[in-house]
Amino acid sequence: MAIYKVSIVVVGSNHPGAIVNLSEEPKVGTSIKLGTEEFLIEEILELMPPKGDFYFLHLTCVPIPAE
Amino acid sequence: MDLIQILSGVELFEGLSAEEITHIASLCQQKEFQDNQVVAAQGSPGLQLFIIQEGFVEVSVQRKGGSAGKVIVNLGIGQTVGEMSLIDQGLRSATVKAISSPTIVQVISQQDFEKLCEKDTHIGYVVMRNIATDLSFRLRQRHMVDLIG
Repeated sequence: MAIYKVSIVVVGSNHPGAIVNLSEEPKVGTSIKLGTEEFLIEEILELMPPKGDFYFLHLTCVPIPAE
Repeated sequence: MDLIQILSGVELFEGLSAEEITHIASLCQQKEFQDNQVVAAQGSPGLQLFIIQEGFVEVSVQRKGGSAGKVIVNLGIGQTVGEMSLIDQGLRSATVKAISSPTIVQVISQQDFEKLCEKDTHIGYVVMRNIATDLSFRLRQRHMVDLIG
């Protein structure tokens, strides 16, 4: 089963960023929840080559615009 | 999800057999923290390795004599805290605090873990290799923070 270890940087927010394992592949344009806050994924980069079941990604996120 | 499945999803143990992971599971003790509760304090001896099973922790560093610590990163499911002390035997370089309720962690005594790694050198080799990969990941993550954040 694939595991996505992701580094997250949030632009335009005081959020310090995060590292977390995800069981589903993240996609640009979808949202990601970090604790109580939710952010929009703007960009995804491969941070390191995959190893075993692990994929190493970097996500650049932004706060979800208020409707 | 049982403990073996949880540990199988932790990068530190990637490449270990189910039997080897069972040995590691036998060293784990589950602990629950509430929001704002300190898991490990900067400057304290690094006697334990923590694996985040549920929730988030905040990692912050305080300058000597400084008041508020600077938050460096939040860590979520599958991340480990305290593995640096396995390598350098040093004091905790940062304070780790739960920022969600509940935050559930698996705790392994450094001494017990080291004993297991020395007794079973394949576990020792794989874990040390994975710690190196994790440090590389965190360094690359810091580069992205400096570049983008």
